[in-house]
Amino acid sequence: MPKVTLINPDDSRIDLDVEVGDSIMRAATAAGIEGIVGDCGGGMSCATCHVVVLDDAYLAKTPEMSLTEDQMLDFTAMEREPNSRLSCQLVMSEEMDGMVVRVADPQL
Amino acid sequence: MSQAVMESDRNQAPVLDIDPYDTEVLRSPYAFQERLREAGPIALIPKYDVYAVGRYEECATVLKDHEAFTAKGGIGIQDIRQPGDFRVPNRMLENDPPGHTEIRSVLNRYLSPIAIRKMKEKFEERAAVLADELVEKGEVDGVADIAETYILDVFPDAVGIDLPRPNILAIGEMRFNQSGPQNELYEQAMQKAQPYLDWFEHSCQREGVRPESIAHALFEAEDRGEFPEAGLASNMTRSLVGGGADSTMAGVGHSLCKLAENPGQYDLIHADPKKAGLAFEEALRLEPSFHVSYRTTYGEVELSGVKLRPDTKVGVYFGAANRDPRKFENPDDFIIERRSAGTHLGFGIGAHICIGQMIARAEAAAILGALARRVKRIELAGEPVYKPINQMRMLQNLPLRLVAA
Ligand code: HEM
Repeated sequence: MPKVTLINPDDSRIDLDVEVGDSIMRAATAAGIEGIVGDCGGGMSCATCHVVVLDDAYLAKTPEMSLTEDQMLDFTAMEREPNSRLSCQLVMSEEMDGMVVRVADPQL
Repeated sequence: MSQAVMESDRNQAPVLDIDPYDTEVLRSPYAFQERLREAGPIALIPKYDVYAVGRYEECATVLKDHEAFTAKGGIGIQDIRQPGDFRVPNRMLENDPPGHTEIRSVLNRYLSPIAIRKMKEKFEERAAVLADELVEKGEVDGVADIAETYILDVFPDAVGIDLPRPNILAIGEMRFNQSGPQNELYEQAMQKAQPYLDWFEHSCQREGVRPESIAHALFEAEDRGEFPEAGLASNMTRSLVGGGADSTMAGVGHSLCKLAENPGQYDLIHADPKKAGLAFEEALRLEPSFHVSYRTTYGEVELSGVKLRPDTKVGVYFGAANRDPRKFENPDDFIIERRSAGTHLGFGIGAHICIGQMIARAEAAAILGALARRVKRIELAGEPVYKPINQMRMLQNLPLRLVAA
């Protein structure tokens, strides 16, 4: 199963298995990772699953950003960065195996 | 209906001869929901000559595929494009992308997570005050004393419109019966709402809007020319009031009912009140506030291999989808740890997915959390009674006993 690495606000790292077709948000909340809240369950309504993709090359492999996601990223609790994404929209593919993301802080 | 039409439909969508708006179905929809799911991917309801979908997959498709299933025909059973319809259309909900998107993008700014985070503190403050009073009383009605009292305390400030209880209840009952067939419920609700029609006509205007509210922000946005057309601030305020009052009161009522019926699940939120939101979500899965919402076929389209007639209404039954065993394990069980947010259709899906969902969640989590902190056990003190409304699923009475912690 492809993996992503999450870097928590305290700099600890978690390797997370994410099934192809599943979102990083779903996998992270199911695994009980505190830094990813995901209140709305993936409806792009809460902006609490904010992550920053570290490597531009990996960013290019992620699903394209929709207008709604782009808009919601303007309302995150931690200010948006150039590589910001909502992890509910990062639906896993084999290509994304090995991607590293930093968990935004705060989410709420 | 002629025999010929019946025959041809039988080759296409199976015919399900049942009235989804029958009072008994509205009081207890589960048997209907199951028959609908099992009839096929889509069924024809001969009484109204409309289609109905009840499986999760097809419900989601109809809501998401706005090219095949337009919202412009209205979200009720009548086609609002036909002459003689008098209902004021909702210019966002009863519309499709890209026109819909333009309007929704403006609203998104004022209903954003940032705006909602600011409301949370107030929601919690007011919830604490009410919860203290409720515990003091002990025996309460979950609908009148908790759901209605709480939502009508906090929502008017958030949205910015005065919502006196008798007015909003009568108008809500009218609107959500009006979107169904012209049955007895519809006639009675129209009668009951007569004294409040004038109020309704004049509410949601610029005058009287509360400061620092969503409506206030929308009227200011209109002045800055942010909306693509004139008159949208008022129309959208009306849509927020219509979409956000009854639905959330219903959701809080259902949550209390499920928690009272499932003491083991209540224990989980009593032990950890942060989980109150999970209970609300799971209650909304089992008893979504909306019974049905419609789309209209755009030309001759197909759904799961079934050929559909053009310009025909398709009812999406949220409750049926949310208990579809194809999608959910043990679909009838109330299990808050399922974490059903985002997996059920209680808030819809696709372009029109509820824009107020985070407000509803914040309100519900505040009042349920406040109770969870103070109450050891919630017991049913009588039978829950449902209120038949054509488009909604809502409790009328919920006698509860709150046992202080
Ligand atoms: C438990 C509470 C709520 C439930 C169950 C609920 C349910 C829904 C559903 C199912 C839809 C989609 C309808 C369709 O696609 O035909 C919807 C849309 C909508 N809701 Fe909610 N809602 C709730 C609370 C709220 C609140 C609090 C507001 C306002 C602050 C609101 C405002 C709206 C609006 C304006 C739309 C139309 C969105 C669009 O067309 O893009 N709702 N809601």
